Parts: sequence; structure tokens; C-alpha cells
Amino acid sequence: MTATSTPPPTRGAKRARGPRVIAPLVSGQEVVLLAVIAVLWLVLGFATPAFLTAGSLRPLLIEVAPIALIGVGMTLVIVAAGIDVSVGSQMMVCGVITARLLVEAHVPLPLAALVSVLVGAVMGAVNGVLIAWGRVHAIIITFGTLNLFQFVGRQIFGSQTVNGIPATLDVFGRGEPGQTLGLPHSFLLTAVIAGAVWWYLRQTPGGRHFYAIGGDALAAELAGIRVRRRVLLAYVVTGALVGLAAIFTIAKGTTTLDQSIGAGEELAVIAAVIIGGTSIMGGRGSVLGTILGALLVQTVTSGVTQLGWPSNLSDLFVGVFVIIAVGTDLLRQRTRRVDQ
Amino acid sequence: MADGPDGVTPRLTMHGIAKRYGAVRAIRHADIEVAPGSVHALVGENGAGKSTLIKILSGAVTSDAGTITFDGDPVQIAGTTDAIALGIATVYQEPALFAELTVSENIFLGRELRSGPRIDWAAQHAKVVELLDLLGVPARDATVPVGTLSIAEQQQVSIAKALAGDAKLLILDEPSAILTDSEIDVLFGVIRRLTESGVAVVYISHRLDELFRIADAVTVMRDGATVGTYPLAGLSVREIAELMVGGILNEDRPARTVADAPPRLELESLGLAGKFHDVDVAVRPGEIVGLYGLVGSGVAEIANTVYGIEPATSGEIRLSGKAVRPTSPRHAQRLGIALLPADRKRQGMFAFQPIAFNISIGHLGVLSKFAFWVDRAGERRVARELIERLAVRTPSERQPIGALSGGNSQKVVLARQLVERPDVLVLAEPTQGVDVGAKEEIHRIIDALAAEGTAVLVATSDLPEALRIADRLLVVRGGTTIAEFGRGASQVDVLAAAAGAGEEAAPDESGVTA
Amino acid sequence: MTTTAPSPSNPAEAADNGGDAPGPLLRAWRAILTRRELLLVILLVVVLVWMTALSYGGYLTGPYDPDYLATSLVDAVPLAMLALAELLVIVSGRGGIDLSIGSIVSLTGMVFGIVHGLWGWPVAAAILLAVLVGGLLGAVNGVLIAWLGFPALITTLATYYAYRSLALVINAQKPISTPNIQSLYSLTGAVGIPVIGHDIPNVPLGVFTFLVPTVVVVWLLLQRTTYGRRLFAIGTNDVAATWSGVPVARTRLLAYVLAGVLAGVVAVYVTGQFASARPDAGTSGNGLALPAITIAVLGGVAITGGIGRVSGVLLAAVLITWLDAGILLMFEGNDGTQFQLLALGAVLVFCALLNSFTTRRYGGTR
Repeated sequence: MTATSTPPPTRGAKRARGPRVIAPLVSGQEVVLLAVIAVLWLVLGFATPAFLTAGSLRPLLIEVAPIALIGVGMTLVIVAAGIDVSVGSQMMVCGVITARLLVEAHVPLPLAALVSVLVGAVMGAVNGVLIAWGRVHAIIITFGTLNLFQFVGRQIFGSQTVNGIPATLDVFGRGEPGQTLGLPHSFLLTAVIAGAVWWYLRQTPGGRHFYAIGGDALAAELAGIRVRRRVLLAYVVTGALVGLAAIFTIAKGTTTLDQSIGAGEELAVIAAVIIGGTSIMGGRGSVLGTILGALLVQTVTSGVTQLGWPSNLSDLFVGVFVIIAVGTDLLRQRTRRVDQ
Repeated sequence: MADGPDGVTPRLTMHGIAKRYGAVRAIRHADIEVAPGSVHALVGENGAGKSTLIKILSGAVTSDAGTITFDGDPVQIAGTTDAIALGIATVYQEPALFAELTVSENIFLGRELRSGPRIDWAAQHAKVVELLDLLGVPARDATVPVGTLSIAEQQQVSIAKALAGDAKLLILDEPSAILTDSEIDVLFGVIRRLTESGVAVVYISHRLDELFRIADAVTVMRDGATVGTYPLAGLSVREIAELMVGGILNEDRPARTVADAPPRLELESLGLAGKFHDVDVAVRPGEIVGLYGLVGSGVAEIANTVYGIEPATSGEIRLSGKAVRPTSPRHAQRLGIALLPADRKRQGMFAFQPIAFNISIGHLGVLSKFAFWVDRAGERRVARELIERLAVRTPSERQPIGALSGGNSQKVVLARQLVERPDVLVLAEPTQGVDVGAKEEIHRIIDALAAEGTAVLVATSDLPEALRIADRLLVVRGGTTIAEFGRGASQVDVLAAAAGAGEEAAPDESGVTA
Repeated sequence: MTTTAPSPSNPAEAADNGGDAPGPLLRAWRAILTRRELLLVILLVVVLVWMTALSYGGYLTGPYDPDYLATSLVDAVPLAMLALAELLVIVSGRGGIDLSIGSIVSLTGMVFGIVHGLWGWPVAAAILLAVLVGGLLGAVNGVLIAWLGFPALITTLATYYAYRSLALVINAQKPISTPNIQSLYSLTGAVGIPVIGHDIPNVPLGVFTFLVPTVVVVWLLLQRTTYGRRLFAIGTNDVAATWSGVPVARTRLLAYVLAGVLAGVVAVYVTGQFASARPDAGTSGNGLALPAITIAVLGGVAITGGIGRVSGVLLAAVLITWLDAGILLMFEGNDGTQFQLLALGAVLVFCALLNSFTTRRYGGTR
């Protein structure tokens, strides 16, 4: 407490590389999630011995990639106390554009992917501008753009399906060329991007500002944070990631793309983010949690099918998990308030 | 001393400051001079102009007239950034911090130290530890989320945040109001360490007794002007109180006679853990009892407990001799207790709803048929009656309450409390944010209500108000009633008692034992 | 401060009212922006005139005439009823919203289909059960939101999942269209109105058997009962409501229960409309919740709570229905449904921006 006692602890703290100057790498909720996933995998492994094999787990990772990838962007959005329910429709637009570019214009895959990402970013920008500058609640705006984007998507579809998706897309995970060390590329790419965003949120001033905005946007503005730009960025990043996720989604499907692409995606993504411990009230959350949340959602979905239960039953479990996650968050906030 | 140049350049001089808001002259004329390394107290009653002076200094508002010099140089403070650039930092009463971010992040928010694209955690940490050490906060607190800290610790973080910009002048706006005694000791330690390092502190407080422990000089404000600056050494609490209230004599009000009757409302050793304790009050029918105390003294909480917002943790509430335990406003209402809330906008008004709606809500039980069908004719009649009786200025009862002035909307919220003729009426800060004319009207309404036999308890931090309306005035300090005054008590005596004069307190009967 | 009695004494408010007597044009503009019903009536007239003109010009694939408009009201019934349900929960404040309402329609519809279509319960008992189940499902939302303080958005998202899942699983994804159910189709058939019937087109029966009673009941509930008062009170300021002795949690809980009850009624209607209890009745495509919320917002319901009127919602539902009906005629084949999406989305964004603007400029829509 006195001035003389200062140097030793500081020195000591500094010496221990990775001084405890920032929040711990893994939060309590993430540990719990990991444990739940582990238990589920074990249980499923016992129930259906085929579950814990590469042939079963690899499709799971391929399935989880798009949800997790969009979830990374959605984490930014929700941490900043927003929400985006239009991602499913965005995926439809990106998906059909990519598919038609590949099939009809024979555009090389990297270029098509770039276009898809850009188109997604533009749609995200529309959301972001309307929300940040129009000062309208995000849920209302994105409900509106959900319809608008769906209109755009269906117009491009021209009320039919796109057939003959080329096999080049297998590079994202299906079959042999799509794997490294047995892991599908879509999942690896998702992991790399998630890692980058995770680092950005933890380590950079811009990233930390998302948490301040979600905590209290007005106070953040007063502290000199450019709130609108951050909010815009969150939606643009989400849109861009939807663009990439659309390609993953096409890649995991058949050679035919129909209008159901992206349907219900927003719900799965939001569920993954919330289950991952991000607070719907904003100001709290992590990318790692979102990845785990997405894994949990997909594990439940796969598990239900593998157990031979009606596949629709998985949504019931997802709903229950969301309630539990929100309840945990509320409980945490209440106990903290009581502490004071 | 403070206002005599001892060859030391003052840290801050403000001279001839004036400020008006529309028609209201918040400051007529203010002079203040703060020496470096000193703690300079600023005192005055509510509305004396302290907060406006602070806002001018911190750049939140600009003055209409006057000069400011800082370290000898004339300066213009046109905005908060100017003030921060000069090294003027302000810590407001409610810390504006982000609960989910760590202490270190909060301190550097918006001006992070970087190494490349990322935050230089180590550098920030080192700086924060240094600051926290200066404030006597353990270094390990640097990395915990602010939301896990107590209010007192959060305040220290706010101070650290203010100091991180190399502040030369630190303004503390009533820092002690939300702190416990031991936390205040810690705060004072912090302030002393700061002044040793040359920082000048402007310290605003209502608790006059604590000034003697911490301040070097005090500037007293009254009615929008500075009365003068005095070294604390030769003063007493009573003398400061006299300077604050001035030579104004209390207008002589005819003492109302209250019929001798058994008390309608009694609080006996009432307590709420952490807020107040051993409060004894008795209010007879037709009597107006005032509970006067400074912000943070526990007055507001006592009123809320009687109304069931937070049920008492010890002691007893009796209504006409019968013990009751209100657990919610609804419950209290059923027992015949009504309360006019202190925070009108938040706790009282339904802004965009009509006046009639605002009056009848909470009384739909009696203003309805078969308990579910609103008796609209009855509602209109009651609303019109009360609008007339309370002289609410409005064209009709269909006007939204949000369109009314502060005084008129306060009357509407008060009207709501009168629909069912409560046995006990509790009024919390009944005239806060109300203009002078409406204030007098509301006071007359309260008189009239008591004359009709209602037992009235007024919880207020407005001293003239307390003296104006109370038949008996109980002074609350440190969470308990410490003195009682009758009609005709002097302002100085009451203020001195509330602000913590020790043995020189209340020459009248001393109140309840703590 | 209060020199003249009629003018509000708050200076800011006085300035806002435009103390220097605004011209009639300005006042009309202001009225259009702040009186939502007025705006909706104008839009409705615009749509009707525009579509009729197109119809006479031969640009439409079918006649846009009173008979067509009357027939199209069959779609307005469930939309308007669910929009009224959203009105109740959104008005209750604290970010109130019910995303699960479409799933409740699906699930209660299946329950109704099973007990009436498969087990042969009398229709009255089956309807009663559907309403009860709807109320129960709404109560689950209400308990979580009003008692436990869960955020409405995410809570009803979760129950949307859960109820939809149950609706699909309960009869193994199979619709129920036994003769019992098919006979309910007559509920939605068109009928002539007695006395004046020969002067105006026949209107779907559901308008009278379902929509009109619902509108009347909800209107009375909101405008005339103590419950309506309390609901607006908690939506306007729930702290002040607590301090005035309003049972906040109970009132808000009931809003969700009532929304569920309305969804139960809609389930019966939709079952009749399609002569089949479908497990995805309220959830196929974008589901029924989204259009219902859109109509509520379009009808002037403030997402922040405490503001909303039955008349606005009803007008919005009719506007959207007749706009959609017109759009359907503008295109060959399936294209029309796509432009309906465009219209719905554009109208919602426009209205949200308008609400936000009027709130800032004129202190809100009334």
C-alpha cells in the first residue's frame, strides 16, 4: 500500500511472461461449454459407436463452419449491443450470385469468392448505415432488410434452381482435396479467421471499444470513441463473413443450389453466439465462446440424427440451451450486483 | 492563505464569473482562487451555483462573463477537451465506467497506449499500477473488471482515470455522499497523497464537518454568488453554516396547532441494513413532520422503506398503533400509505400519457366498475377536481403530462397520491426541480392536506423547505435521526446539526439517541 | 412562467409547438407524420387508386376490383390478429416482442388438429383446448420475460425454436386433414352481408367470425379496461408503474399469455383456411411472426413500448394485404410473391426510420 512496496510486485508481475494484465484466455463459461461438448461426445460415442470416428466428425466440422464463421461477425454485432437477423437472406444473395458466376460465367473460384465477400460486405454496410445513422433499433432494420435481401436473392435466382455446381468447391472440405491433417479446409479457414478476430477483440483498442459501446454507447461516445464507425464495421464484417460462409454452404451441398439456402441460418447463428456466452445485452462475449456454441449446436443436431430421433427435435434442445445460456448470464449479473 | 498571494502563483483563478440559463441567473458573480497543492472546499446550499461553477470549469458549459487564469495564464475553456488539455479533471458523483472492462482498460479508454496495432498492455499496466498505488489501491485490482468492484473502489478508479491525463487540478463533486465512513477515510488519504504531489483539489461537499479534516480553505456560495473564501483553521461548522444561509431571518409562520392525538404513523428503531438504523419517528394526524438530511444521509431510504420499496430489516412500522410491514408500493397503498417519489421523471411520470391517466393509475381499483372496467366518467371527474384543487395549469385533463412544466407535472404526480385520501402521506423531495412559484403552491397544498387530518412525513434535503413546512423537524445524519427541532428553529442550527457540528450542535432538545 | 393558461409552460415544448402559428400546410404535414392513422389512410388511398388505375389500363393480370379486394381479406385475418398480439407484447415495454408467435400457431394448430381431426373431440372443446395451449405457451414466454427478467427477443427466439420443433415432431411432420378438419373450410368461405349484401361484395366469413370479434375485444381491453391502463403504464415507464402500485410483472406476463391465446385462435382459423392442420402453418417461409411485427410497427406501435393503437394496426394490416393483392396481379406466375417481400421490407424500413424521425422531431407518434 505504501510507495515503497510498488516495485517488487510490478517487476514480478512483468517477469511472469503473459502478465495477468488482460482477461484470462478462457472464461468460466467456455470451460463449461467445453465440458458439455465433451460429455455429449462421450455419450454419443457410447450410444452410437460410429459417432467418434473421422467419418462422422468431419461432416460435423463441415456443417459447423458456416455457422461458426457468421457467428464470429455476429459476436461483434451482439457485443456492440446490436443484432442482425438478415444474415440468412444475405447468405441467399451471396450464394446465388456465386453459384451463377461459377456455373454460367465460369468465373474462377477465387474471384467468385471475392465477389461473394464484397456483396456480403455491401449488404452489411446497408444494415450498418441504417442502424448507426438512422438511429433505429437493429432488430427492426434487419427484419426489414431480411425481406429486401430475400427479394434480391430470389430475383437473381429467377424462381428456379442453379444446377451443375462445379467440383472445384470440394477444396472447401468434401472429399480428399478438401482436407489438411484430416481437417476440412472450411473449418480451418474459419478457425484462422476466428483467431484473427479473437485477437482483434482482445488486443487492439478498436476491438476493446466494441465492449465499451455495448456497455454504454453514450458514455463510449463521450469517451471519444467513434461509435457509429464501430457499429458500421461490425455489420460490414458480418456481411463479408456471410459471403464466405455462403461458399462453404454451397460446397457442403449437392451440385444443385435451391432457394432454401440460408433459410433459418440467422437463428442458428444467434443461438450459437448466445450459447457461447455473449450477452444479448451487449458488452460481453468472446469469439472462442461462439465457436464452442456453434459446435454444441451442431453436435446436438448431429447427435439427434445419429440416435435416430426425429431430426426436428434438435431445435427443441437448441432452444433449451439458449434459455439456459441467457439464464446463466442473468444470474451472473444479479450475483454481481448483490456483491456490491 | 488561500486568497492572499504568498508569492505562489495560484493554480486557478476565476474572477467575475456569471452564467444564466434562459431567464434563470445560475451565477451572478463568482470569484475563486485555488492554490497549488491545496484542498479547496466549495460549499453552498442546493441552487447556490456550485454545480454551475464546476461545469464552467470542466468545460461542460461556458460562462457568460468573467476571466479564468490557470497557473498565471489567462485561458478560455470552451469545451471539455480544453479543460482536459489544461489538466483540469472532474470526478462526478456517479462513476461513468464500463462494468465489463478492466480497471486498466477503463482508465485508458479512448486513449490507449499502443505498440503497433495492439494495446501496449504492459505499459498501460505499469502506469495504472503507479496510479493505483498513489491512490492506495492494490495493484491486482488493475486487471479485474470494474463491475466487480464496490462503489467506493469504482470512485477511486474514476479518480485514477482523471489523474491518468496528468491532472493539475482535480474537481471532486460530492465524493463522500455515496461512501461509508471508513471509505471516506481512504478517500481522504488519497486526496492528501495527491496534494503532496502538487495537485490542487476542489472539493465539493455538503458535509461540513469533514471539511475540517481535509480542506485548507473554503469558498462559500449563496444565491448564485461567492460570499468569500476563508481559511478553515479559524472556522467552526456553525460559522460556515451561517455564511451559507446568510443573515436571512426565518419568516414568522403562525405555528399550526396539531390536535393532541395518538400517532398515526410510528417508526420505531427502524433500520435497513447498510442504509439507516434506529430511526424513531412519530407523526400524528394533521401533523407535518420533516426528515431533513444531506444527500446520502439516509433520508430518501427511510421514506422508501415506509412505502415498501425496500422492506425494513429491523425495527417496526406502526399505523395507528398496529404493526405493519409494507413489502411493496402496492401493499403500502392498501395500508393507506401514499408516497410522492423523489425522482419525478423516472419514478413518477408516464410522460406521453394524458394527465387523467397519470392521476388514475394506481387507483383503478376504485375508479372502475367490477374491478376491470375503467369508470371513465369517474376518472374525468376526479382528475378535474384534483386539477382544480391543486391549480394545475392545463387546458384539459387529456393533455399529456410531458407537455407540462416541472411544477405542474409535480402537482399531477402529487394529485395521484390524493385520489384515495391516504391516511399517511410521505413526500420525498416534494419540490425538487420546481420553480419558486409552484414551490410555494405545493407547500400550501401540503399545509392544507395536513389541516384535513392527513399525517404527513416530508423527506427533504432542501433546508428552507424543511423549515417552511415542518411542524417538527428531525435531522438525519449518518443514517439515523440525531436531533429534533420545533417550529421556528434557526436555519443555522439545523444545518449545523445535519452537516456534522459536534458538541456545538443543536442547543434545543437533542434528538433521539443513536 | 405560466402567463397564458392554455399554452404549455415548458419553454422547449412551447418552441416545439411552433409558437409562431405554423401555416396550414406545415400543420397538415406535421399531422401526417405524427398521426399514424392519417398517414395509413392516405397510403391506402394511394394504393387503391394506383392499382385501380393499373387495372383499368390493363396492366394487371386480373381485375383489381371490390370483389377481389374482399376476397383477399381472407389473408388479412391471421395477419391482423397476430399483429394485434404483437401490439400487446410490444406495448408492454422493456423490448417486448414475440418471435415465437408463428411457432405457437403451428403447435396449437397441430394440437387442435389431433384432438379434433384424429380423436374426434367436438369442435368447441378443441377450440377451447387450442386457446388454452396457446395461452400456456405464451405463459412460458411471459414467466421467463416478466418474472425472471429474460430479454424478450432472445427468449422468444429460443421458444420459437422449441415450439416449432415440437409442432414438427408431434405428428411426425405430417399434416392432418381428416374430414373433420376439412369441414372447417366453410369458416373462411365468403358470405353476403344481410340487408346491404347486394350492394357490396361478399366478404370472407372469417372476417366476421374471427377478426371483428378479436378487434373489438382487443380494442376494449386496451382502451376501456383497467388492464389496458396498466399495460400502457408499464410500457411507458415501468419504474413509475411500480411506484404507483401497478403489478408490473403480472401485467407483462398476461400480455404474453394473451398473445399466445390470440395465436391459438389464429391456429384454428388457419387450419380452417387450408382445410388442414399443418405442422409448419405459422413457420413456413419467413413465418407469420415477421409480417405480424412489421404490420405492428407500420401501424405506429413504438418498439420502445407504451405507444400503439388498434386502429393503426388494423389499417396497416389492410394496407399490406391490399398492396400485396395488387402486387400479385402485377406479375405473371410466382414473381409477385417476390415483390411482396420487397414491399414488406421497404415499408418496414421506411416506417422505422419515420418513427425514429418523428420521435426526435415531434416527440413521437400518437
